[in-house]
Amino acid sequence: MEEGQEDETLERASLETAEKKEEGEEELRSLLLPDMKDVPPTPPSAVESNFVRYFAADFMKPGHDQFVYRHANGLCVIGLAPTHVALREKGGVTAVDYNVGKSDRSEMKVTGKRKRNAQHFESNSALCKVCANDTFYIGRCCVKGSLLEVNDRLIKQPDLLNSSADREGYIAIIMPKPADWLKIKDSLLSHEDYRKLRSL
Amino acid sequence: MLTTSKEGSIDDFTATIAELVKRENHHIDGFSIEVSIPPVIVANERAVWMYMKKKYNCEDWFKDKIPSQHISVKDALRLSINTSLENHLGVKSGVDLFRIRLNYSHLDASRMLQSSLANNHTCKRQKTDKKDNRDSLDDSHKSNLKNSNEHLCSESDSVILRTLESMLDHAFCEHFVIPPEKALKPCLLTTTCYRMPIYIGGRYLKFSRRVSQSCWIIDDERMGEASVEEIVGSNALLVCKGDNYKFHAAGREDIDVRMLGSGRPFLVEVSNAHCMPSMIDVQLIAEKINNSDKKYVRVRNLKLVNNQAWTLMREGEAEKQKQYAALVWTSRALTEEDLHSISSRKDLDIIQRTPIRVLHRRSPLERKKIIHWMNIERIAGSCQYFLLHLCTQAGTYIKEFVHGDLGRTHPSIGSILGCRAEILQLDVTDVKMDFFD
Repeated sequence: MEEGQEDETLERASLETAEKKEEGEEELRSLLLPDMKDVPPTPPSAVESNFVRYFAADFMKPGHDQFVYRHANGLCVIGLAPTHVALREKGGVTAVDYNVGKSDRSEMKVTGKRKRNAQHFESNSALCKVCANDTFYIGRCCVKGSLLEVNDRLIKQPDLLNSSADREGYIAIIMPKPADWLKIKDSLLSHEDYRKLRSL
Repeated sequence: MLTTSKEGSIDDFTATIAELVKRENHHIDGFSIEVSIPPVIVANERAVWMYMKKKYNCEDWFKDKIPSQHISVKDALRLSINTSLENHLGVKSGVDLFRIRLNYSHLDASRMLQSSLANNHTCKRQKTDKKDNRDSLDDSHKSNLKNSNEHLCSESDSVILRTLESMLDHAFCEHFVIPPEKALKPCLLTTTCYRMPIYIGGRYLKFSRRVSQSCWIIDDERMGEASVEEIVGSNALLVCKGDNYKFHAAGREDIDVRMLGSGRPFLVEVSNAHCMPSMIDVQLIAEKINNSDKKYVRVRNLKLVNNQAWTLMREGEAEKQKQYAALVWTSRALTEEDLHSISSRKDLDIIQRTPIRVLHRRSPLERKKIIHWMNIERIAGSCQYFLLHLCTQAGTYIKEFVHGDLGRTHPSIGSILGCRAEILQLDVTDVKMDFFD
C-alpha cells in the first residue's frame, strides 16, 4: 500500500473506532436511564429495604420504647424508638454517655472477622445513659448477644437522637446467636403492631 | 528402576504411554516428559560417584570430570524414549503444556532412607553445623538437583533431598554404603498424562440484576438465577473438554448491580483441557455465551493467555478506579447549587466503616476511600430522582456512600446535600484497567 493510502486506512480505522465508541456510549446511556413508570414516587428507605424492624415497647420501664432492626445477615441495630419518653422531654436529648458504671461501652474494640473479643451481653444489659431535661434514661440491649459496635458519634453529637433517632441516632450493633434470636423474637413487636399499639 | 537395554522394549514402553494418551482422549500438538524419581536414586547416584572418586581420583582421565557433566538418570530416561515416543504420538516433544508424567516410587527404600536420615540428623547435627563454614559444599550436586524438576517431589521427598544436599561428602560417606548395595526390587511406575491449566481471558458484561458473579448456593439452594462464573466457565470447559474450571475476576459487583460499559476483566482457568482451543474455538466460546437466549452475560475480547495473566490482573488492583451510575432519590428537590456542590468536589476523602450488610463476615474497620469525581444528571420529569455518575477508588462501597449507612460512611451524598438520600439502582460503567481492553 502506498503511504497516502495507508494514512487513509488508518484514518478510516480510527473513525470507525470512534464511531463504535459513540455507539457503545449511546447504548450505555439508554441502559442507564430508568423507565420512570417503574419507579415509585417515594422509594423505600435503606432501612426499610434491608432490615426487618422490630420494637420493644415499655422495655423494663413504661415508656422506654426501643427498636431492633434485624438485617438478613443476623446483625441487630439497636436504638430508641420515636415514642421513647426521652425523646419527648423538653429540650430533647442533651448528652449521651456510654459509661454505664460497670464499664465504658465505647471503649471496647472488636477486631477480626470472627469478632471473638466482643463482649457478651444480656437483653437487659445497659448500653448507655441518655440525658434529657436533666433526667437520665438507660438504653438497653434488648437482644442477647455480642456487642460489635456502639455509635460513638452520639457522644459528640447527642442531637442526632433528636433529629434522627431511628437512623443516624442508633445506639449500638449487636450480633445475637441464632438460637438466642429465636428465643427473643416472639417477645418483640412487628412494625405494624408497634404502630397500632402506639396509635401512630 | 526399570531400565531397558533392548530397542524393542523401549518401543513397547512408549507404545503403552501413547496408548494411555489415546485412551484418555487427549488432542495434542506436542508433549513434555516429566520424570519423578524417589530420593534413594539420588543417594545411590552420589554413592556411586563417591566410589568412583575414591578409586579413580588419581587417574588423569578422571581428574577433570565433575558430576554436573554427566547425564542424570532422569535425562537419560528422557533421551532414550524421546524419539520413540514422538513416533508413536506423531508429535514433537519440547516445552509444552501437555505433560506425560512418569512417576517412580519405592516405598520401602524411601522409608528406610527417611528413618536413617532422621537418626543421622539428631546425633550428627552439631558436627555438620560447625563444619559448614570451613568446608565447601559439592556445588555441582546442587545444580544437578536443580535441573531435575525438584518441584515434582512430595513434601517428604523434598525434605530428604534437602538433607542429602546439605550433607558434606565425608558425612555422606560415613552414612551410606559406598558403592551402594544392589537393588533387589525395582521402582513402581505410575504413568499419568494431563495438560497444565490454560487461561482464557476477556471482559464480561452483566445485564441482569438477578445474576451473581460467582456461583452462589447456600444449603443446596441457589441464590439468584445464574452466575457469570458458571455461564462463562461451563462454556469454556465444554469447548476445551477440560476437567474443571476456576473463575477469577478483577473485583466483583453485587448480584443486583449490572456490569456495563467495557466490562470487567476476568480469567477462566481450565484444568486438564483435552483439546487445546484455537482462536476459532475461543471465538466459538464467545459466540455461545453471547448468543444464548437468556442474554444475562456478554463477553468481549476473549482470548487465550498465558499463566502470567493472573498475576498481572491482580497487580495494583487496589489502585484501579471504577466508574458507576446510580439512580438516587433525595428527600427534597435538588437545586442548581446542589448539582454544583456535588460536581465541584474532586478527590473527596471519605471514611467508611465496614458496612452493616457485610459486618457479619468482615473485620470492623474504618477504610479511607477517595471519590475522584461526581456528576449529577437530571432525569426528565423528576426533581427528586437523578442519575449520579461517579468515579471512585477501588474498594469503595457505593451504596453506603449514597445512603450513609446510618452515618457510618462519612461524608455521604445525604450528608453533603443535607437531606436523606436513597439508592435504587447501581450500575458499574467502567473498570479502568489496561487489561483485555
